[in-house]
Formats: sequence, structure tokens, C-alpha cells
Amino acid sequence: MPTSQILLPVPDLREVRPSTFGLLLDFGFRISDFAAAVVLAALLSSTAAAQPASPTPVDPLMQLMLSQPPIDVESPVVPLVSLDPPVVRPGEFSTYRVIFNALEESVEWPAKLAFPPPLEARPGAHGQMLAPGGAKLEPHAAFNYHVRASQQGQFTIPEFTVTVYGKPVTVPAAQLEVVASPPASLPPAQRLILEVPTTNLFVGQAIKVRVLLPGTPSGFVPGLMSPAQITGEGLFVDQTAFHALPPVSDSNGVYNRYETSLTPLAVGNLSAFAQAFTAGFRNLGPGPITFRGPMSIPALGLLLDSDPVELRVRPLPREGELPGFTGAVGTLALDRPELDSNLVRVGEPVKLKVKVHGDSNCNLARVVPPPPPHVRDWQIFVSTADTLPPQIIQAQGFTTFIYTLIPLTEKTRATPAIPFSCFDPDHGSYIDVTIPAVPIQVKPGAAPADLKALSQAGAAEPESEKEPVLSGLATSPGLAARSLVPVQQEPWFPLVQLVPAGAIFGLWNWDRRRRFLELHPDLVLRRRARRALRRECHVLHRAARAGDASRFAAAAVNAMRLACSPHYPAEPRALVGNDVLGVLSETDRSTRAGELVRRFFALTDAARFGTTPPDTSGLLDLKPDLDRLLRQLDEQLL
Amino acid sequence: MNRSEIRNPNRSGTGSVQDNFRRKRFGFRFSAFFRLSVFGFRICCTLALTVLVVLPSSAASPDVLFRQGSEAYHAADYTSAANAFQKAGILRPASGTFQNLGNAEWERGNSGTAILAWEQALWLDPFNAAACNNLRFARKTAQLEAPELAWYEVVSTWLPVNWWAWISGLSFWLAVAMGTLPGIFRLRKAVWHQAIAAFGFAVFLLSVPAHLGVATRSRVGFVLQKDTPLRLTPTEDAQFLTRLAAGEPARLERVRQKFFLIRTSRSLGWIRRDQFGLTCPR
Repeated sequence: MPTSQILLPVPDLREVRPSTFGLLLDFGFRISDFAAAVVLAALLSSTAAAQPASPTPVDPLMQLMLSQPPIDVESPVVPLVSLDPPVVRPGEFSTYRVIFNALEESVEWPAKLAFPPPLEARPGAHGQMLAPGGAKLEPHAAFNYHVRASQQGQFTIPEFTVTVYGKPVTVPAAQLEVVASPPASLPPAQRLILEVPTTNLFVGQAIKVRVLLPGTPSGFVPGLMSPAQITGEGLFVDQTAFHALPPVSDSNGVYNRYETSLTPLAVGNLSAFAQAFTAGFRNLGPGPITFRGPMSIPALGLLLDSDPVELRVRPLPREGELPGFTGAVGTLALDRPELDSNLVRVGEPVKLKVKVHGDSNCNLARVVPPPPPHVRDWQIFVSTADTLPPQIIQAQGFTTFIYTLIPLTEKTRATPAIPFSCFDPDHGSYIDVTIPAVPIQVKPGAAPADLKALSQAGAAEPESEKEPVLSGLATSPGLAARSLVPVQQEPWFPLVQLVPAGAIFGLWNWDRRRRFLELHPDLVLRRRARRALRRECHVLHRAARAGDASRFAAAAVNAMRLACSPHYPAEPRALVGNDVLGVLSETDRSTRAGELVRRFFALTDAARFGTTPPDTSGLLDLKPDLDRLLRQLDEQLL
Repeated sequence: MNRSEIRNPNRSGTGSVQDNFRRKRFGFRFSAFFRLSVFGFRICCTLALTVLVVLPSSAASPDVLFRQGSEAYHAADYTSAANAFQKAGILRPASGTFQNLGNAEWERGNSGTAILAWEQALWLDPFNAAACNNLRFARKTAQLEAPELAWYEVVSTWLPVNWWAWISGLSFWLAVAMGTLPGIFRLRKAVWHQAIAAFGFAVFLLSVPAHLGVATRSRVGFVLQKDTPLRLTPTEDAQFLTRLAAGEPARLERVRQKFFLIRTSRSLGWIRRDQFGLTCPR
């Protein structure tokens, strides 16, 4: 492109008109423009300052907090130590109580307190309350221990130092007197009583527990300054369910009663105890109570606790679990489900209400509605939980599940049944409380496009994968092994492989040898002859030892026949003396060996075919020569 | 006919001698083989009877421990249950025992040990659906990954680990036997001999990758404790590379004194032996 054709945009200065205040419309600034801006800003700010200030919105929670009196954390910390009662029998517990006018969090309480023997101690409750004390709230932190001694005497719990608000505070010593008969005027230790209807529970099973506060022997029944707490690991206590019951009396006096709901959340052996602050301070009469400092006695709350209760909590059985189980433990029953309308069009939502009743122990406010099933003809939205406060739900005795259902087709004639089940702890089994189907008439309507797509997707979608859950125990050990190490890594495994290898190698070798012997049958005959010769030699030796000359001669002839038979080959019994001589060399045939052969054959022939017995005298003397001859014949078989 | 022929009717030819020899020789061999077989059978029967008499007394212990563990589990005493199942697993490793050990450890909150136990249950018996389901459940709950397996390792999970060894051994020797024995025993060659030999050889070849998979899978292990440090060097004071979650899978690379060099899906480092459990302990 030629340079002359490049045109840069040049502003037309004729079009630019200065404003009244000297501002340029093309955003070109002059020094006077800044001055004007400063003046304008000053004017605006002065105008704003002149207007009345609008009230700043205050957080209501912050307002509530600000309206509360402040907590006194500046007063000097004074510990109060008491033993309740200060005089006990051997083996009887006394409550060792330390109270600070400080926040509990600020007290660095030692993990273990040293009690002098023979005092035995177990930790009790610890807690904090705020008591009104003039313009400020006085914090009271209390730590309880239960001490006892098995023998009589006076025992001193020594003083010790703890850190409160970062400063050391000395807790004074206290004295426990253990006597055989404490003074009758001394009131017994004030304790709470935790009443649990059953200690054998299933996890998730809510029970009503009662806390009893006994009155004094004089008939005065103190009240609680705060709701009683049930303390223990793995437990859920519904504080909203805490309420007072009418007092009761028995031969021991009057009791104030309180009730709350307790639900174990963990399995195993759990321990729980009750604790609460009572109003007022007990006058225990003369005793080793040390009290120092400016705390006012009426304002002082007394932390009481109960003996621990052991709960045995079992898991819910896996066997027999029914569909729609959402963790509800108790006895549930359903009212007949109600529909907003029995006549709807496709795509129109309809609400299904189900009232769920439960027994007094069942915590209805915490019953989780079952998830809706996936069905082709309906789109179901998860039920909304009952929005009423838990106390009201518990008081009315039922909770309500509300499902929103949208029909996707006019062919459906009823709402789908919604599987629901609960676990009945009394019978130890699951109960089916399925929400039944409700008849409904669905008219054709213009189903929205997304619903159609949903319907099609639902039809095409395979059944979703089941959520995995922890399975139950195996009833038998199942497939076992000698070790987790695989056998191929065991040193003996290659050796085992040598067994078939050796067997096959042996068979192959045997077959090879067999084929060889088949090609050379003379070898077999010779071996067989040698074995027979050895047997016959034994017979010969036995006959010689016995002095039986005729048997000796017969054995010698047989041995010679056997030794010579493979050379022909022929049946040994068919051989005659000449055949044996034929095997011998020319020299042997004419010497002693030949003579031996002829003589033995002649003797046996005479014995066999002759009428008179042959002369066998001196025959046994020929044994050495015969042995030599047989050895020679044997060597020829090799 | 001459004299020698009258005396020795077998002299006329060597063929009849050879036939006689074969008959007698085979008869002797087979009778000896039969006697040996009977003797071996007697020995085996005696040993089997001895084992049957002795075994119940020695095998009672794992069964008793298994029962004790189950009872303790049902009584929610998971520590005792885990101890009993662990002892039973040491005495006689069994799939069901490890499954139950995993359940008890899971209830105790030891997810790493539970996952290792379930993996060991599947190691012994991959058909144990409950252990497989529990592993899915645990990994979903604890947000853990399953170990990444190569294709031959996946193949090795189709059958119990010990089965592969026996299958390959038997198939190999079956192929060898069907290739050699008909010739040795002078059987007429048949198609089915060759078919069985080919089948055995094919099974053997197919089982070779599974063998490799078993060997490499035996080096897979799991972190036992939560927040286990992965160290740069095999020393107590080593720099921590990262912290591993309980139940996280890793492969053992090397051993040095009381440390394992392991490779996780993201990093490589040293870990203390007691913090890492191998599916196939060494």
C-alpha cells in the first residue's frame, strides 16, 4: 500500500467548542479544569455533611449481646474448696469440689490430681455458669471429684497451684474425716440421680432419661439454675426436649424431676452421668470448708453430678434391613397419605402429605424422610422436612413428610409407593412402613419439554448403581490359604514342579531302554540266564553243604544248561552235554572242564534213564572245579 | 527235522522269542508298577488318616477365634473382635476372616487397616462380594483411590492368587504329558491327545501374564495410619514431602532397614515399615 494512502484520523478543531467552564469536549484537559473539579468536590462534600445522618442498621444479635451485662473477668480469682460431706464412713464417697470465680476456659486444670493414699478419687463433673452479680455477670467454674477412703482417719488433700487467666492461683488444702459413725446432724451428700429406663440400647435409639434432684432433709428442694446436662462420649442429648416434671416424694424426701431425650450415636459400652448447677449454697455446718474472697454466697451455684450409668449400645443388625431405611429407630406408624388433588394434568405438580406417628421414645423431629424412588411415570422431589420446632413436633406426636410429584404421563393411575422402614428396638427387627400408592387421575396435558426429556431419559437410563454400604460379617472363614504369600513365590513350588518333570523323564528313559532291549533281545536272554544261573548256583551250594550228591549233580547240569542257552539261543532243558561243550573253547573241551561236563551229564543221564543208581562218590570234591567252570560260563554271558 | 529242533522248538526263529520277551517284560514292568502304585496309595491313605485325626485339634484354634471375634463384633466389642480375627488370620489366612477383620477395624475407626484387611480378603478370594463392596464403601466414605492396576494385574484379580500357580503348573504338565505319554505307552495317536495338549499349552500361555500380575501386585500396600508422613530420606528426622491418608495405596519399591520406599499416585518417598501394610506381607 502506498504511503500516501494511509490516512490518520485528525480531529476537526472547528468542531471542538469550549464549554462555559473551560472543559474540552474531546477530553483534553486544562489546568483550570482541575481547579474546577476540586471546587465541585468541596461543594458536594459540604452539601453531604449538611444533610442529617441516616441511622446505621445494627445487627440484632449484636444488639442483644450489647444489652447483656459484661462478664467479670477482672476481679481477683478466689478458689473455694469444699468436701460434701466433710465427714463420711469408710468406703463412702464425698464430693471434693473446687470453685473459681473465673471462666472455665481460663482455668488450666491439671490433667491428674494427686490425692494422698489411702484416698481414692475419680473425676466427676466440671462446668461453668454465669451468675448475676451486680452490674456484671460473675463466672463460676466448678471441678468435682469423688473421693473415698477405706479406713478411718483424717486425710488432707494438699493445696496445689493452678493457672487462671495466666496467673498462679493456690487452691487451699481440704480435710476429709472418715469415721465409723458420722454425726446424725450432718446432711448427706447432695447428688443428682440419673434414671435410665433401659441400659441395653441400639445405636440411634432415643430414650427418655430423668434427672432427679433430691431435697434436703428439712424439706427444701432447690431448683436448677440451668438445664441439666447428660455428659458422656458418643451420646446426643436433645436439650430442646428438656423439661421439668412435677416433683415426687417418697420415704427419703421430695425430688424435683427433669426429663430429656438421650440418643446413643456410637456403639459399645458408653458411660453417662448428669450434671447441673443448683441455686444456693448448702450450709454444711462445722467442717473443713475453706472460703476466701468476695464471692457472695447466694450467687454461688453448686455443681452437682450423678453416678455414671453404663450403657451397652449395640449396632443395628445388617440382616433383615428393609428398603427405605433412613435410620429411624422406634415404632412408627403412618396415616393414610393425602393428595392435594385427585385430578391433575400431565406436568402439574401435586403434593403428597404423609403423617408419621411415633411412640413416646421416638424422636420424630429427627426422622429423615425416605428418598423417593426412581419411577418412569413420575418425577418426585425429595420431601421437605417438617418445619415446626422440634418441641411442637414432639408434643403433637407426629411429623409430616411432604413430597411433590409431577406426573409425566396420563397413563399412570396411582402415585408410586415410597419404600420406608424403621427399626423396632423392642423386637430387634425392621418394620416396613412403606408409604402406599394413592389412586389419582391424570389427564393429558401439555407436558413441558424438559419433563418430556426427563421422561425419555428416565426410560433410557439404566437403574442407578446402588450406594455401597458396609456389609455384615462373614459367617464362615471362607477360602483359606496356608499363607498370604502366593505359592509361586514359595521355595517349595519349583521343587513340586520337579515331580512331574522327573516322572515324565523317568517314563521317557524307561521307554528308550525298552526300545533298545527290543532291538537287542539276546541281551535280555543273557541277563535272564545269568539270574537263573545265580539261583541254580545257590541250589548247588546248598546241595553241596547238605552232602546230597545227586541233587548237586542235577543242579550243576541245570546251571550249565542255563549258562549255555543264550548262546544258541535255546530252551535250557533242551541242551545236552555236547551243546555245553560246544560253548567251551577247544582247549577247555579236552581238559578238566570238558571232563567235568561229560561226567556230570553222564551221571544225571544215568540217574534219569539207568536202572541202577550211578556212582556219585567223590562228586562233591569236584565243586571247586565246577565253580570255576560256571564262573567261566557266566563270564561268557557278559 | 534235526535233533536240535526237536529239543528246542523255540530255536526256529527270533520273532517268537521277542514276542515272548515283550509279553513277559511288560508283564513284569506293569506288575511292578502296580505294586508300587498300591504301596504309594497305602502311604497316602495312612498320611491322610493321620492328617484327618490330627488336623481337627490343631485347626480348632482359628475356628474358635473366628467364632469369638464374631461374638465380640455382635456385642460391639470391636477391639476384642479385631484381635480375635487378626489371630485367626495369622493362624489360618482366610478370606472371610480378613473380611470380618476389616469390618471390626472399620468400626474401630482404623480405615487404613480395614482397607488392607479387605484387600487381603480379595487377594485370597476375588469372588468375595462383601469385601469388594466394603472396599467401595470405605473408599467412597474416606475419599480414597483404589490402586491403579496394569492390565496383567487386572487379569490376576480374576482368580485367587494361588489358583494361577496351580493352573499354569497343571496346564503345562498336562500339555507335556499329552505330547509325550501316548508315544511312551505306544497308544495310537488321536486328535484328542493333541487337542488336550494344545488346550493345556494355551492355558499355560494365558496364565503367564496373570503370574506377572500376582508378582507385581504383591508389592502393593496401603498406608495404615492417618496423616502418615512421607519422608525424603529413610531417617527419623527426614524432611516430610507430604502426608498420606490412611488407606492410600502405594507400591513398594525398595526396603532399607525400617523404612520402605513407596510410590503413590503422586509422589515417591520413604515411610516407616509399621505405617505401611503390604497385601502380601514379606
